[in-house]
Amino acid sequence: MADSTAGDKALPAGLGLGRLLTALGERSDYDAVSQCTRCGYCAQACPTYTATGRESISGRGRNQLVRGLLEKRFADPSCTADALSTCLLCGACTTACPARVPTADLVLEGRRLLRAGHTPWLAQVLTGLVFRRRGLLVFLLRWGFRLQRWGLSTLAARSRILHLLGLGGLAEASLQVDEAPERFLFEDLVLDPELKAAAESRWAYFAPCGSNFLHPRVGRATVSVLKALHGKGFFLPDSCCGLLPYNYGDLNAARDFAKANIERFEASGCPEPAVVVGDCSSCVAFMKSYPQLFLGEPEWKSRAEGYSSRVRDVLEMLPLERLPALDFPGPVTYHDSCRAKNAQGITAEPRRALRALAGDRYRELPESDCCGGAGAFAFAHPELSDRVLRKKISNIASTRSLVVAASATSCLVQLAHGLKKYYPECRVAHLCELVAEGLSSSTAAPKGPVS
Amino acid sequence: MTLPDLGGLRRVCAGNLLTDEAELFSYSCDAASGRARPDVVVLAASAAEVQGAVRWCAEHKVPYVARGAGTNLSGGCIPLRGGVVISLARLDRILVVDTKRNVAVVEPGVVNLRLQEALAEVGRFYAPDPASYRVCTIGGNVAENAGGPRCLKYGVTSDHVRAVEAVMPDGTLERFSAEDAGCDFLSLLVGSEGTLGIAVKVWLDILPLPETLATALAAFPSLDAAMGCVSDVIAAGVLPRALEAMDRATIDTIEASAPAGYPRAEAVLLFELEGSPTAVERDLGKLRALCAARGATDLRLATDAAQSDKLWEGRRSAYAALSRTAPSVSVEDGVVPRQALTAAAARIRSIAAEHGLKPHLLFHAGDGNLHPNIPYDSRDPEQCERVRRASHDMLKAYVELGGSISGEHGIGVEKRPAMLWLHEPPALELMRRVKRAIDPDGLANPGKILPLPEDGSADGVPALRRRPPSDAQWSLIERVREKAGAKEPLFVVGTRTKLPAEMAEDKGEFLTTRPMSRVLDFDRANFTVTVEAGILLRELKAELEPEGFYVPLPLMPGTLGGLLAVRPWPGIRRSILGLRILLADGSFMDLGGKVVKNVAGYDLQRALLGSWGTLAVILEATLKLSPVRPEIPNELPKPELPQFGRWHRKLKEAFDPDGRLNRWR
Repeated sequence: MADSTAGDKALPAGLGLGRLLTALGERSDYDAVSQCTRCGYCAQACPTYTATGRESISGRGRNQLVRGLLEKRFADPSCTADALSTCLLCGACTTACPARVPTADLVLEGRRLLRAGHTPWLAQVLTGLVFRRRGLLVFLLRWGFRLQRWGLSTLAARSRILHLLGLGGLAEASLQVDEAPERFLFEDLVLDPELKAAAESRWAYFAPCGSNFLHPRVGRATVSVLKALHGKGFFLPDSCCGLLPYNYGDLNAARDFAKANIERFEASGCPEPAVVVGDCSSCVAFMKSYPQLFLGEPEWKSRAEGYSSRVRDVLEMLPLERLPALDFPGPVTYHDSCRAKNAQGITAEPRRALRALAGDRYRELPESDCCGGAGAFAFAHPELSDRVLRKKISNIASTRSLVVAASATSCLVQLAHGLKKYYPECRVAHLCELVAEGLSSSTAAPKGPVS
Repeated sequence: MTLPDLGGLRRVCAGNLLTDEAELFSYSCDAASGRARPDVVVLAASAAEVQGAVRWCAEHKVPYVARGAGTNLSGGCIPLRGGVVISLARLDRILVVDTKRNVAVVEPGVVNLRLQEALAEVGRFYAPDPASYRVCTIGGNVAENAGGPRCLKYGVTSDHVRAVEAVMPDGTLERFSAEDAGCDFLSLLVGSEGTLGIAVKVWLDILPLPETLATALAAFPSLDAAMGCVSDVIAAGVLPRALEAMDRATIDTIEASAPAGYPRAEAVLLFELEGSPTAVERDLGKLRALCAARGATDLRLATDAAQSDKLWEGRRSAYAALSRTAPSVSVEDGVVPRQALTAAAARIRSIAAEHGLKPHLLFHAGDGNLHPNIPYDSRDPEQCERVRRASHDMLKAYVELGGSISGEHGIGVEKRPAMLWLHEPPALELMRRVKRAIDPDGLANPGKILPLPEDGSADGVPALRRRPPSDAQWSLIERVREKAGAKEPLFVVGTRTKLPAEMAEDKGEFLTTRPMSRVLDFDRANFTVTVEAGILLRELKAELEPEGFYVPLPLMPGTLGGLLAVRPWPGIRRSILGLRILLADGSFMDLGGKVVKNVAGYDLQRALLGSWGTLAVILEATLKLSPVRPEIPNELPKPELPQFGRWHRKLKEAFDPDGRLNRWR
């Protein structure tokens, strides 16, 4: 009857976090995964299980596999690779779990164990570019997007320029992205004279990579909304939350990003009640979890707690009484970004906001689950991702919505891709874009969006 | 085990086979603590694929287990002897929802909640609501005869299954319906835990959504007072949709982890009432008075959905709250006659204390169904052993108190030894013969339900106090025993109003049940009556009704035994809790008991209904009573002798291998 008896049930030192901050408190990986009672209540919440009916790729299945890895039960541990790599990390299982087992974090620990310290080259290159060679990243992206705009993306792909630069994955990614911005967000925001830290600042805008490089329109909308609804604030430039190396690369790189963000914020002179606001729920959720990265470093843990306690998703910054009404031509719905709903527990605020904006045009989306975007998932597992996506789009279509609001870069990319393919009548927008539209068309709005 | 070449199996399921180590590992557990690894998993997508897989297994003598969502709490869906797991998760279509005939037709992989959602859209619901309803499948519910809080009013799964289409161990696809003439094979399949067949299509009764719902929460100074109140409420003719109880330990855990604002009392009862607004209002009035009379200290009523939700919140989160206090929670399941609940609770507490464990009690109180939940750490073998011993002692206590070892979780592998404590050897032997007759190679979910040699014996276990046979029963038993060696046919008759001419032969011994006509146990508090089979229905009703008790059986001429034997109306199955039967070899045994929920082995008591005396002599029956006059048909035509099919013949092999009872041509 006993599940296991003896042995060291931990990742080799330095391979992973080793300890996690769970809903039940700080736990070793093994204690955290052992909290899974195998009740199976997570299965119906798991998008990969409901798409396939395969138990290995359900929350319980993955927990048991991670536990099996820690208990060294497998002749060939790499047999778990498929189940672990297909996890969307959406966290819906944790929300459904009676004991709140942190499956996504455990899956990442399992992946780290399997990688055994080896970081995939793409993650290495991207992390290096984002963190140390930002100038080069900007240069490459700008030229990549120009080629795409000029209709040369296929040429670029064929010429293998990006491949030569070691950015084959990025080339694939850019082909999936339907936008190719001319100017990046930070280039505008650093020039905005209103965005300077001051004693009366109420907020600091953290520009996630998605808003910065892929969807500057989202960041512009967010800043205009924050200005209109919350008064003075400022911009924290040159930032990346570090989720990329946390999910795909090495933890020390993720810690470096976190430390840089914490230091930058502490040095910005941001006054006490002001908050750091981001408009990609994935990044925000990760920044809220920074303390977990520093469980072995008390000083940094306490600084991380200080920082994380002041991080907000822009979804939490939409006071109802100040929201305008917006005249939508048809129904509008809301897609819960997993990292807003499951990681941060934000579900009511965006719905209330959208109801305020759209009135009775608002429609509730059936089956509030993952869209299958999930960072690089759509590129790594296109077939599974597309199955999840098709279900999502058919649910959106069932509401006959013309606009679907979301709050994370992955969702914006994935839904734009899916809608174009399966339901082109509808567009996807960040919720802030809709609020900004409402504010700019409403006379009551104190200010319009920045140009 | 060493498997034959999988090529044939791969072909029947379009290549949807899993054989990787990680995949097999994922199918080696359910929600109980045991583990067993399959050799291959088939992700079936249609009934034909299930049939193909079973045929392949039958041909190659490979064991197999059907699996839905894998939420079983007794180890029912782990493949003890390896072989093939046939996953039904992809058979998840709701085929028909017919609001005119109030029936839904579904595939076995449909999740209970999905069905409820689809039904709610057309103003209907499906009554059984096991705690895992958000994820568990209808196929699993049927296999386990699942219950849930709403069982109190509506009964368990087998009361709501109208028909199934099943892949039988010989690879044939058969349909069994409650309307079938002859014995109630459908009730035998329901709750057979996948050991007699695999349901691939299920016809379910659906009901109109109630007009009004109301919730009441009452706090009591003692568990005794709360349980007294439960009995009072049932006796007053108030039949709540659900009647749940929890003890102080459970309340404290809920309040510590997910505060629901429950009163810190020794016991809390939650009632859910339904009906027309006036009926609900009237019932609430009665409840208020009955709770007050038992010293309820806090009474909260809710008539709107939001307030009701608030009251239910704590009960619903009880398991979650417990699961956060330790790595594992042992969710135990037992059932006792309702008035024995307090005694059972006391026994559970003292047993747990002996083993150094802390039980948290949740009850489906109206049904006498208890769930002691015990948090522990499954990684510690010593704790596991203590939990196992405590669980076994608790099961023995339920048996001693006249109850049963499972109300809704099934036997699976974990409660196999307890079957020895509950059932007498002849009953277990009969169940084994039934299993062998239907699955001669023992490939369908082997090692489940029926005790194996390694499960020990019942020596030293205080047995269920069984009433010895009455004088009238003895004289019949002795007559059959005298004739046991002879070959002459035996005819079972009551008043001889129903035995068809084609069944009676010139020679043979007539066994008349008519002298057995006494009421043996009229348990007013438990709402059950045990009566001998030879009693006239008219007499039975005359005895009960003046006291305000009703038995939901049609009033036909002749004896109770005759009515049960010919089953003129499928609804009679709902009233049958237990039977005492006599076989042609002179052995007699009790099947079922006097508890309203009982999933401890094959439901032979219901299977015998409609068997026309061909399988056994019914000596006595235990019936479920109602405090209100039931609405049932009374004018029924005299049934014709049915054509007995091959499944009936297989049962005949198990019950009456020499073919001596009520022969047919």
